[in-house]
Amino acid sequence: MNRGETATGGLFLALGIALVASGLGLPPGVGGLPGAGFFPQAIGGLMALLAAGLLVRRSGAGSEESVPASNLMQVAGTAALLFGYLLLWGTGFFAARTAAFLLLTLRFLGQKWMPAAGYSGVLTAFVYLAFDMGLNVSLE
Amino acid sequence: MIGEILAGLAAVLDWHVLGFLAAGVSLGAVFGSLPGLTATMGVAVLTPLTFWVSAEQGLAMLLGIYCGAIPAGGIPAILINVPGTPASIATSWDGYPLTRKGQAGLALGINALASAAGQLTSILFLAFLAFPIARFALQFGPAEYFGLALLGISLMAGVSGRHVLKGMLAGSLGLALALVGLDPMTAYPRYTFGMSEFLDGISFVPVMIGLFGLGEVLVQISDRHASRAVSSGVIGRIMPKAAEARTMLGATLSGATVGTMVGAIPAAGGDIGSVIAWEQARRTSSDKDKFGKGSLRGLATSCAACNAAIGGAMTTMLTLGIPGDAVSAILIGALLIHGIQPGPLLFANNQSFVFSIVFLLVFASLLIMAIGILGAKPLARILNIPPPWLWMGIVLFGTVGSYALNNAVVDVWAMYVAGIGGFLFRKASVPLGPLVLGLILGPMMESNLRRALILTRGDWLDLLSRPILLVFVAATILSLLWPLIRARRRAAKRNHRLSSDA
Repeated sequence: MNRGETATGGLFLALGIALVASGLGLPPGVGGLPGAGFFPQAIGGLMALLAAGLLVRRSGAGSEESVPASNLMQVAGTAALLFGYLLLWGTGFFAARTAAFLLLTLRFLGQKWMPAAGYSGVLTAFVYLAFDMGLNVSLE
Repeated sequence: MIGEILAGLAAVLDWHVLGFLAAGVSLGAVFGSLPGLTATMGVAVLTPLTFWVSAEQGLAMLLGIYCGAIPAGGIPAILINVPGTPASIATSWDGYPLTRKGQAGLALGINALASAAGQLTSILFLAFLAFPIARFALQFGPAEYFGLALLGISLMAGVSGRHVLKGMLAGSLGLALALVGLDPMTAYPRYTFGMSEFLDGISFVPVMIGLFGLGEVLVQISDRHASRAVSSGVIGRIMPKAAEARTMLGATLSGATVGTMVGAIPAAGGDIGSVIAWEQARRTSSDKDKFGKGSLRGLATSCAACNAAIGGAMTTMLTLGIPGDAVSAILIGALLIHGIQPGPLLFANNQSFVFSIVFLLVFASLLIMAIGILGAKPLARILNIPPPWLWMGIVLFGTVGSYALNNAVVDVWAMYVAGIGGFLFRKASVPLGPLVLGLILGPMMESNLRRALILTRGDWLDLLSRPILLVFVAATILSLLWPLIRARRRAAKRNHRLSSDA
């Protein structure tokens, strides 16, 4: 068994047990009718059972995909930029903030300054016009 | 009757009506092809524009959006693995692998043709079988809806490919995510962690955009400069060859039939219909190993099914006044504003208007097919855009589209978290299709089972005495056991062959 499968199985097993445990704390059913805790317990039980099955089975080696370290850094960097952009959501200046985020991310992904700046501006303007002005979605 | 049909046709063959229809189809194509914008959103946003025009003109525009958005949802599903609408999830399963093989043009062509076939078949159903289908759908109570959801969930194993156990785990995670929010029967908050934003549950569309959109972007970044690039950039031919068309015919028709039937059931739309049709086609196909890897049959059946749900939903809406899906719920509102009450009386008192709707749907289907075929090459040029530019477009449209659904930042968080999860799952070979199935069907299964049990006062045996539910339960058991039965039959055949050889 590879590390990915062990991690997946372990994660789901923990989640399944947590669901069953939290389901016990939810209101039980009345008069033979299932209550709010019935489905969490049933789904948690099923999840734990399937996860245990994944952990104990012997096959499955080799299904893990390896990612080059440099690419993994790019994934992590892009994700960090995304969450940074999201944390600043609602602070105003949507157009400037979005264009800056796009430009930074495109630069991080290896694009040249000028084309990246042009594309960031055009894409931001299009999205702003379509959503904020066209569909009346308040992006600020 | 002929007079009513001709009157209905004459009302539609008006330049203003046709103009509104063309505008609606074009706008629908835009809404469908941009991830985050859905047919429901398009119809909802543009309904107020129809208040100042006649019923025929207004309905032409709204039906145009509906018929245009669903096939267009398949375009980003095929080209960039991001379903444009929830109904086109299954389209990406075979459409995107075809793009990776350099057959984006063919995939787009099949999307246009099979979508039109699905829509036209379901319109025929609407024209000829509206009443029997609607009467059948009317028999559905909570127990039957539970049965339908159960059957849908049993398809998890089928849509998991080689990783059945992981697929079932992903499906159970989808079911668990569907628990977030108020308990459907007692309104007791579950897993909301004290946040009011979670009381309505986790929105399905942002999760879908995250899993399939952002997740795919991160996967492509991680595979950068590796053999698994975005695509070859080759578009290839658009029209299928005659032999290919012949192999897809059965799958298209079966997809159209399943889609129409599922669409006719209130609250069960093209997303559920296309998954059920895809899995049914896979099970009955002689080349089931190709499904999920660029099968033409798989693509044709899913496209036909998600589009056939339109006619099914319209049938239920017009004959019973019950919305078959979210779009038809808005359409009912638009009709009422124009003084038209959908329901059995509409068929008795205003038959020509019903035929006008049928003709509008036919013209809209043909128009979107033409747009789909003629626009396939220009649309497929999207593949020549530098990948980072495409990724940023997906991310920004996904982000703003998720936010626009409810004007809530929590939906964007859901999309980003789902995106990271989608990336990790794909790297760990965990299939995403079952997760989506669980998320869609979880609430439907739980609320209807509990409602049905209230009606039977907690008596499970009484619940199982309903014939339609029994059919669904039998189909569920069969669908779960079928792979085992087939494997056993194959083994028996192999043993028989070996013993006869000896």
